[in-house]
Amino acid sequence: MSRTIRNVMTIAGKELRSYFGSPVAWVLMGLFAILFGYFYNVYLNFFVSPMQQQFGPPPTKNVNSEMIRPLLQNASVLILFLLPMITMRTYSEEKRSGTIELLLTSPVTDVQIILGKFVGAIGLYAGLLAVTFLYVILLFGFGSPEWKPILSGYLGLFLLGASFVSIGLFISSTTKNQMVAGAASFVVLLMFWIINWFADSSGPTTAAILNYLSVTQHFDDFGKGVIDTKHLVFYASFIAFGLFLTLKSVDSERWRG
Amino acid sequence: MIEVQHLTKRYGPVTAVDDVSFRVEKGEILGFLGPNGAGKTTTMRVLTGYMPATEGKAVVAGFDVFDQPIEAKARTGYLPETPPLYPDMTVREYLQFVARLKLGALGRAERSQRVETAMRRTHVDDMANRACGKLSKGYRQRVGLAQALIHDPDVLILDEPTAGLDPKQIIETRDLIRSLAGDHTIVLSTHILPEVAQTCQRVVIINKGRVVAEDTPDNLTHQLKGAATLYVQVAANGDTADVLRAVPGIRGVLRVDGSAETTGYEIDVEPNVDVRREIARTIVNRGWGLLELRPLRMSLEEIFLQLTTEEQPEEAARE
Repeated sequence: MSRTIRNVMTIAGKELRSYFGSPVAWVLMGLFAILFGYFYNVYLNFFVSPMQQQFGPPPTKNVNSEMIRPLLQNASVLILFLLPMITMRTYSEEKRSGTIELLLTSPVTDVQIILGKFVGAIGLYAGLLAVTFLYVILLFGFGSPEWKPILSGYLGLFLLGASFVSIGLFISSTTKNQMVAGAASFVVLLMFWIINWFADSSGPTTAAILNYLSVTQHFDDFGKGVIDTKHLVFYASFIAFGLFLTLKSVDSERWRG
Repeated sequence: MIEVQHLTKRYGPVTAVDDVSFRVEKGEILGFLGPNGAGKTTTMRVLTGYMPATEGKAVVAGFDVFDQPIEAKARTGYLPETPPLYPDMTVREYLQFVARLKLGALGRAERSQRVETAMRRTHVDDMANRACGKLSKGYRQRVGLAQALIHDPDVLILDEPTAGLDPKQIIETRDLIRSLAGDHTIVLSTHILPEVAQTCQRVVIINKGRVVAEDTPDNLTHQLKGAATLYVQVAANGDTADVLRAVPGIRGVLRVDGSAETTGYEIDVEPNVDVRREIARTIVNRGWGLLELRPLRMSLEEIFLQLTTEEQPEEAARE
């Protein structure tokens, strides 16, 4: 077991180094910080603007539900664009440059390689989230938000991102071309995003399935401060399935050569 | 050390490797010779556990590459055709990563030691802090070799280790490979023939996925040379061939080139008979001019061509 962890961490470390060794990580971090900052600014202005009220005392406002929750909701849209850029090169670049031969002929298992790449990618993603966390902490200086819904919101965001990463890994493992991997990942993630839009126009059973598959539906409760096992199970199985597909894809690649 | 039995690899309808069997003893250098697309790389990829075989089995350092891949891989160093380098890492960073991958159980200090040793052995230590992506082809190849050597494996599998090197680097690499034999068992593939003669103790010639010959370079040269062949060029008009045929000890005369005044023959001579004196006398006695007389020794190059092209019909007839 310790050997498994060691190998996974070796690969994860290499992945992180390659993200930060090239401009990828820095560009994504900067981009994410700017966009998140923009939304932060918009919601903050809206939140502090005085409400038009003619009678009675000024209404109370909740910084958690009126500012942080929509902010994290927006962040979840941002990662839809950003995560394919993180995962697109994970496998395809190794296949194109031939370095996959080093990994596949080293004394490590396919599962360890996949987990290593997964941990590396979500490590970078956690870094992106950590940057945005600074904005949220600022709010504590000027108000008194509740910290539990913030943490649950970030947990939801993290799980959502990890699910996206597992799909992105799979798609990257099917092609040598990282642009194709990036574009295809984006399209597939978008599908999971909007899948429940079709729920209204379909029968009750189909609607239930589509709603269940929608990654956003499961994210909502986390934003409200609810950590429901149902959603945890959904994300865990989503991630496991994505990694399983990656494993099968790498394995079949071996047989086909 | 390496045992390959009835190895077959098919990609869909294409058979890349067809029933290949060979053995490599401990400390030996085996040359894997064949034209491009003969199945060399595929065979090596099976040996290194990169891909499974369709049929047959391969045992490396006592471990079946399919049943016990981790054990077999831990004892194998592999240099693929394109050195598997990460362009963003420096040479030292890269080798440290490979060392962690292959020697994770060792402490950090000992791993660093191995990295420095591998860099010294392959003469890349002067580029230790250069990014792999900025190295010349020769250095890339040697960093690739350092990567294969780093865990001091029992078996080294080198896919065209001298491809793309300049002559000086080729000599250095060959010396390095030769110096590694003994401690390591080495399989190297190449389509450069002198390399085999200079580096390897045994040669497996593979063509279209099948083993067509297996022996020492010397034996191959000897065996295929068959009866000795002479080349004779004569300045004469008339029926030179018939006259030559009459010389005792000559089995056959074949006109291979010629112009209005001169004719060149390849003469098949019975083994262990030196007929050169007799040929010279005959020609001079006739009053012709003897322009050239030399033995034709088949080079490895010709053997290779003969085995991989001309023997095709003969092989078909044997089946």
